[in-house]
Amino acid sequence: MSALPKRILKETERLMSDSPPGISAAPKDDNLRHFDVSVSGPGQSPYEGGIFKLELFLPEEYPMNPPKVRFLTKIYHPNIDKLGRICLDILKDKWSPALQIRTVLLSIQALLGAPNPDDPLANDVAQHWKENEKAAIEQAREWTRMYAQ
Amino acid sequence: MDLNHPMLLASDDPPPFPPNQTQLRRLDRALYCQICKEPFQGPVSIACGHSFCSQCIRSSLESLKKCPVCNETAGEGSIRRNRALEEIVDSWEDARAVMINLSQPQASSSRKRPPPQPTTSSASNDKVKRLRRDEAGSSRSQSPAKRSSGADEDEAIDISSSGGVEDEDEPVLTENDEGECPICSARLAIAAIPLHIERGCPPPKKQVNGSGSGNQKADWKKVFGGVSTAKNKDKEPMKRITKPNYHLATPAELKAILSAHSLPITGDKPALEARVQEWILLYNSNLDTSHPKSLPALRARLNEIEASRKRDKEKGKDALGEQLTTKEGVAKYVKERGGEFERLRKEVLARDSQALARAKGQAGKPIEIE
Repeated sequence: MSALPKRILKETERLMSDSPPGISAAPKDDNLRHFDVSVSGPGQSPYEGGIFKLELFLPEEYPMNPPKVRFLTKIYHPNIDKLGRICLDILKDKWSPALQIRTVLLSIQALLGAPNPDDPLANDVAQHWKENEKAAIEQAREWTRMYAQ
Repeated sequence: MDLNHPMLLASDDPPPFPPNQTQLRRLDRALYCQICKEPFQGPVSIACGHSFCSQCIRSSLESLKKCPVCNETAGEGSIRRNRALEEIVDSWEDARAVMINLSQPQASSSRKRPPPQPTTSSASNDKVKRLRRDEAGSSRSQSPAKRSSGADEDEAIDISSSGGVEDEDEPVLTENDEGECPICSARLAIAAIPLHIERGCPPPKKQVNGSGSGNQKADWKKVFGGVSTAKNKDKEPMKRITKPNYHLATPAELKAILSAHSLPITGDKPALEARVQEWILLYNSNLDTSHPKSLPALRARLNEIEASRKRDKEKGKDALGEQLTTKEGVAKYVKERGGEFERLRKEVLARDSQALARAKGQAGKPIEIE
């Protein structure tokens, strides 16, 4: 096992001993840069009651480069595509080394509460959202029941 | 993966302040670099006024010319050494342990005392107490309002006798006290003397401007000892290295820079580039601190970084998981890691329901303040 930067150790320790509400994350035993994450859908959103699995990987350049995060659970969301990739500014150009795993996961949870169809990743979902928001939300709710229970 | 994982135990952090000490926690946090989340090392400020460790901000600016905190455009040219901040961090590090002891709940609110330390006899304890009482006037002067009450005067004594303050009044020598080496009569920590003798009495490192008397042998060694040219080079005043233009630089030019700093010149151009870049980062940030590391230590650090980069790169290939690019792969992965996810799921659910219950309970009952 290569030497892990102290910052990663500290973050892991804090994540596991004092994780934010609705979020659990634990590194894998064989690779401490690779985390399994569970995020619960925020209340008053179509994802309420669902628990979504994600994977998070800290690249070698972390914290200078953002972590790579992906949904493993299927989710009906305009900013998350079929492969689980997430369209979130702080995971791309708005990344700053002052951010950390905790803030990234909280932002993802917030994204579930506030879908943004104007900056879509899954075009068909975003289209659906724009044309008939009610139906789209119902679909998201159904997917949550089907895949995220 | 549990909290007792050996990798996690490796961190040797000082304990945090108890949560009720919000002011102290805030002060403590203010002295942490926002990038590495450690106390500032060689702090510098940039144009927007935010401060970071020299090495952290230099490496951050390599990839993004912005302040990591406020996103304002920033360049390496705006980096200025922040000596006042460094002094504050240094003195806070000294004071931290004392403050933590003082802020322990048993020291201030309840009268419970930890058992006296085995080295402290009760007689000397009394002595400390007396001395403390004499000192109380000066040491507690920052809170004159509190001092006026008799009860608080008592408390001041309690704190001192509970081992909260270092007993510098102790006549008994501890291993941190200085002693004289019986052979070369250099002064150093008592605990370090056996090792020092074993190594053939090298001159103590910390003592740069020693008093001279009683230390002549070591002083002369300093004058005549440094025969090797490498050692003399280290003592030359260091100058910042100017960054080469990596796009235009030829491998030979990069090698010239590396060999000028006695670094390995193996590898292809990208490897050389990475090495030069990393070295300039280490070297230049080392100039921003009043506790600079020696050049050999920097070289060792460079080696370490390179080795770990290499291992990470090899590992990263399979760690990212090629299988996760397909739907079947994801399904398989989720299945394999099912137990872990189930555990995490339960954790989230349990915490959520706890929070709910607490919220409900609070809504029903009047809020109690602890």
